[in-house]
Amino acid sequence: MSRASAQLAAVVRKEVCQTLRDRRVLFLLVVAPLLQTVVFGYAVDFDIRRVPTVVVDLDRTSLSRQHVRALLADATLSRTAATTSIAEGERLLESGDAAAVLVMPSSFEADVLAQRAATVQVLLDGSDPTRANVTAGVAARYFGEVSQQLGRERVERAGLPPPGSIELAPRLRYNPRLLSPPYMVPGILAMLLIVVTTIVTAMGLSREREQGTLEQVLVTPIRPLWLLAGKMVPFFCIGLFDVLLVLTAGAWLFEVPLRGNPLVLALATVLYLLSTLGVGLLISTLSRTQQQSYLGGFLFALPAVLLSGVVTPIRSMPRWLQVLTLVNPLRYFAETTRGVLLKGASFGDLWPQLAALALFGATILALATLRFQRESGGKAA
Amino acid sequence: MIAALARTVAIAGKEVLHVRRDPRTLYLALIMPVVLLLLFGYAVSFDLDHAPLRLIDQDGSESSRLLARAFSRSTEFDLFPARDDEGLEREFRRNRTLGALIVPRDYGRDLCRGRRVRVELVLDAADAATANQILAKAEAIALSASPRPEGAITPVEVRVRTRYNPEERSAVFVVPGLAAYLLAISAVLLTALAIAGEWERGSMEQLFASSVGRLEIILGKLLPYLALGMLQLLLVLAVGATVFEVPIRGSLLLIFCAGALFLAGMLGQGLLISVLARNQLVATQAGTLSSMLPSLLLSGMVVPLDNMPRVLQWLSNVVPARYFVHALRAVLLKGAGPSLVWPDLAAMAAFAVVIVTLATLRFRRTVA
Repeated sequence: MSRASAQLAAVVRKEVCQTLRDRRVLFLLVVAPLLQTVVFGYAVDFDIRRVPTVVVDLDRTSLSRQHVRALLADATLSRTAATTSIAEGERLLESGDAAAVLVMPSSFEADVLAQRAATVQVLLDGSDPTRANVTAGVAARYFGEVSQQLGRERVERAGLPPPGSIELAPRLRYNPRLLSPPYMVPGILAMLLIVVTTIVTAMGLSREREQGTLEQVLVTPIRPLWLLAGKMVPFFCIGLFDVLLVLTAGAWLFEVPLRGNPLVLALATVLYLLSTLGVGLLISTLSRTQQQSYLGGFLFALPAVLLSGVVTPIRSMPRWLQVLTLVNPLRYFAETTRGVLLKGASFGDLWPQLAALALFGATILALATLRFQRESGGKAA
Repeated sequence: MIAALARTVAIAGKEVLHVRRDPRTLYLALIMPVVLLLLFGYAVSFDLDHAPLRLIDQDGSESSRLLARAFSRSTEFDLFPARDDEGLEREFRRNRTLGALIVPRDYGRDLCRGRRVRVELVLDAADAATANQILAKAEAIALSASPRPEGAITPVEVRVRTRYNPEERSAVFVVPGLAAYLLAISAVLLTALAIAGEWERGSMEQLFASSVGRLEIILGKLLPYLALGMLQLLLVLAVGATVFEVPIRGSLLLIFCAGALFLAGMLGQGLLISVLARNQLVATQAGTLSSMLPSLLLSGMVVPLDNMPRVLQWLSNVVPARYFVHALRAVLLKGAGPSLVWPDLAAMAAFAVVIVTLATLRFRRTVA
């Protein structure tokens, strides 16, 4: 056993020396994740605001101007141009300078005062369906409320009893200001760990294979298992360090809370890192060059990110894709971190996710080690 | 001149041999776009769909059932009736439900008497984007479920017309963006990896020792990857058009012009990275940081640019993917001609010229 630990320590020392020697690699493993967290945190905001809108006010009365101003007041729509021709509005829509055209009809005020139906037109650029949807919703809601108000006034003026109305009173748990970053940062963390563990491990091993140094080490008395463990330990530590770094930056810059038990978070991180390192190892046994390793790692990383619920909700995916997310460690890690950080979820809430992570980690590590031993065992013998 | 051309072609031929000798890279480069496109096309949807809501109806009247029916009729919500909010927090923590709609006692009576009735909506707002969508949809339903005076006309109606993508399909939006993203990845990373690899193995110095000029080496190295990139673009467009019915309303020639300009810039960037890094691991990470991330985030591909912080908006001006995505969407979806997309083409051309010049200069200096 002491021989085994001595072997392990030797490999770890060698890996640490090698990683520390190239300052650029260290920079990429530590500073780059931080940088990405900051950029992602600020950039990834799916909230739709400031939709560039052309206002075509054909009525030009105080009433039409008043409604345009009130509609633009909540900043979902922002006026980029005002014209009096619908054709000009359509041209701006086509060139992409505007995403919406709001047309106030020429008889708007007169129709409203005469209690005739007035029709406001909204032209949308549907190439971004989410934005189009939100814009349509905002316009419909605003004029819906205006209609309701006008309807009440008219009924009251006629001396009839007013109709009732429903007011929705939202109570927002966990995130009352509806900020995006506290939800995105844990997801970003899960993605970054794939890059600094899976891809770096896969490429590192492939590089040794390319240069032939792997064979050299394998002919020494060192056991392949210890060699692997020793290679993974430094990246495991870097992964843990990055978690602390990203969460600190998140708490500091983006108000990411920590409401649950940090131990649950730590356990999830350890289990998740076992999975990502295992995948990296598996990829390296399947590829001959660094280029292939990188592409392989990428081919794992991107679907894993897309099918994790980090970027888009799993609920919105078709059923068959939802089934695929069940074998995705990233999904469980993202759910755990978000649960612990934002909702104060406990071990009792998250044990299915943790169990899934453990199962995945153990399976993939075992598979990868077997493959590695079979490949290198043949050469070493 | 002809000799220079011949040498360039020879280098390109050598590079093609490299790629062909290593078919796994080629497969990955061609399969990856298709796999990713299918995944993106199916997985990237922000639509609210069957969000589970708990219904706590404390009134139990005819009108409260009417409101519940308005909610469950929409495909956005699935309602689960319950007596109270017991255990609601636990369901939030376990992602079992997203909210609770609480209809108060006397809801029906108050509504009939013409009062304003408060219906409470408790939401798990951890995911702000989803919470926002639920709020907007729920407000729209509440508004339309409010009783109307009989026989009266709707005072102000809104008529919405959606141009270019009237069915509002996400894939139509995602595919052009994805094309840019995939090209950026393969162009920058494949070149960066291939050339950094030559430096690692020392074969680059051997090339320099020959009589081939620097620019010839650069062009020769870039040409095969340019061809590979164009092939990828064709593949992405073909899959997009057949599987996701993305329209191609404008001219294909214009699309490939834009693609070539964009690729030239991305290849130049990959080259510059490899000259600076000379190590494959560093090159990939630098490539990820400088091309993949900006192409994904600052191009308007998935994340809207309109409400980003000023600094990032300004930064997006030097991200070629932004212009490519804009040009692609304009040509594919709107059938725009050269008169509309020339600013995008010019910007991409400028980027390509600057970056290839930089790479060539840097190439010289490091060798001399």
